[in-house]
Amino acid sequence: MQRIPIKLAKADMVLAKDAVTPEGQILCGAGTKLSEELIVRLRHQGVLVLSVQGHPVRMPGEKSLAERLKELDNRFSKVSSDPVLRALKHLIGEYWVVEEKGAEFLEKLKKEAK
Amino acid sequence: MDKAEIRKRLNDIQSLPTLPPIVSKLNEMVADEEITAVKLGKVIEKDQVLTSKLLKMVNSSFFGFPQRISTVSNAIVLLGFNVIKTLIVTSSIFEVMQASDVGLFEHSLGCATACGIIAKLRQIKNPEEVSTAGLIHDLGKIVIRSELPDEYEAIVEEAEEKGLYMRQVEKERIGFGHGEIGGILARQWNLPERLVFPIEYHHKPEQAPDFKEIAAIVHFSDILIRALGFGSGGDPWVPALDHAAWERIKLTKSQMKEVIAELDEKLMELQDFTLEIKLDG
Repeated sequence: MQRIPIKLAKADMVLAKDAVTPEGQILCGAGTKLSEELIVRLRHQGVLVLSVQGHPVRMPGEKSLAERLKELDNRFSKVSSDPVLRALKHLIGEYWVVEEKGAEFLEKLKKEAK
Repeated sequence: MDKAEIRKRLNDIQSLPTLPPIVSKLNEMVADEEITAVKLGKVIEKDQVLTSKLLKMVNSSFFGFPQRISTVSNAIVLLGFNVIKTLIVTSSIFEVMQASDVGLFEHSLGCATACGIIAKLRQIKNPEEVSTAGLIHDLGKIVIRSELPDEYEAIVEEAEEKGLYMRQVEKERIGFGHGEIGGILARQWNLPERLVFPIEYHHKPEQAPDFKEIAAIVHFSDILIRALGFGSGGDPWVPALDHAAWERIKLTKSQMKEVIAELDEKLMELQDFTLEIKLDG
């Protein structure tokens, strides 16, 4: 899932969460496929951000998944011998992979690793 | 500078700088007659210095409450909206417009968020209190930064150069870790022990004389938020885990997954919020 400013929304993106106005009013539900008309209508209703499935937009300055995983590794470098924290690191890494590439991709990675 | 002198400096602290953008946002909200106590409480609790100040004020003897007040929404309900309104506005007058540390601000917000999620999962009675403890857990770092700016810079530099944790260098250079400093200050301000101990012992929660569970949650939330790389706590490393504290609040693998997912989602919302106050400022 990715949260994007509505001006970066494109047709065919799929909502991961309900589209809501800043006042909290729900306009359309998770799972809705966006169209150009729908995006215009949501903008007119005051929607500023949308949560969409996958990771369709590369924001300026945003790090790639590979970079983020490398930084994750670095942050844990002083505690790498701790089994609980090692497990935590793996869970976070897996969560990011699934968020960006989907659950099938993670399964594939795991198989390859074996 | 020796320990006694540091302690004296801490005693003399009159006010702390807070993040200017949030103050202007609060002023704006306070001007709105329709604003609810819950809404205002939520925004205030996102600012650690203002929260400390507010709690310090409501716990000061001139209000004469028999029991300590430890959360902002409690304070709003107990003291009434107008009093809180006044406290906020006067506090913002005293705000020195100093350079802010957005990284530490985000780290604190994130830690508070994690604390709330874990406290709710563990069905702790007042999860907002645990969030509040998380919000101000690095109070000591803000104090060092505002009161001993040269030392703070040297500490950050040395930590980075030698690959050490901030608190190791703090101990060496000024005789106190930021946990202790935060604790000293929180006590001076008459904050309740359920907030003082988690601040003071967030790196060694099992040594806390009481409220070990809250201290353990803050301890682990600090680790979790650094692990995710949200905000900046000064040095880039995940702190060591206290295993006795972990035994106390241990999460199963599937609970851990749930916490990560919920936290990640809330952090995205927090980013919208910090972006908003950056833009407002």
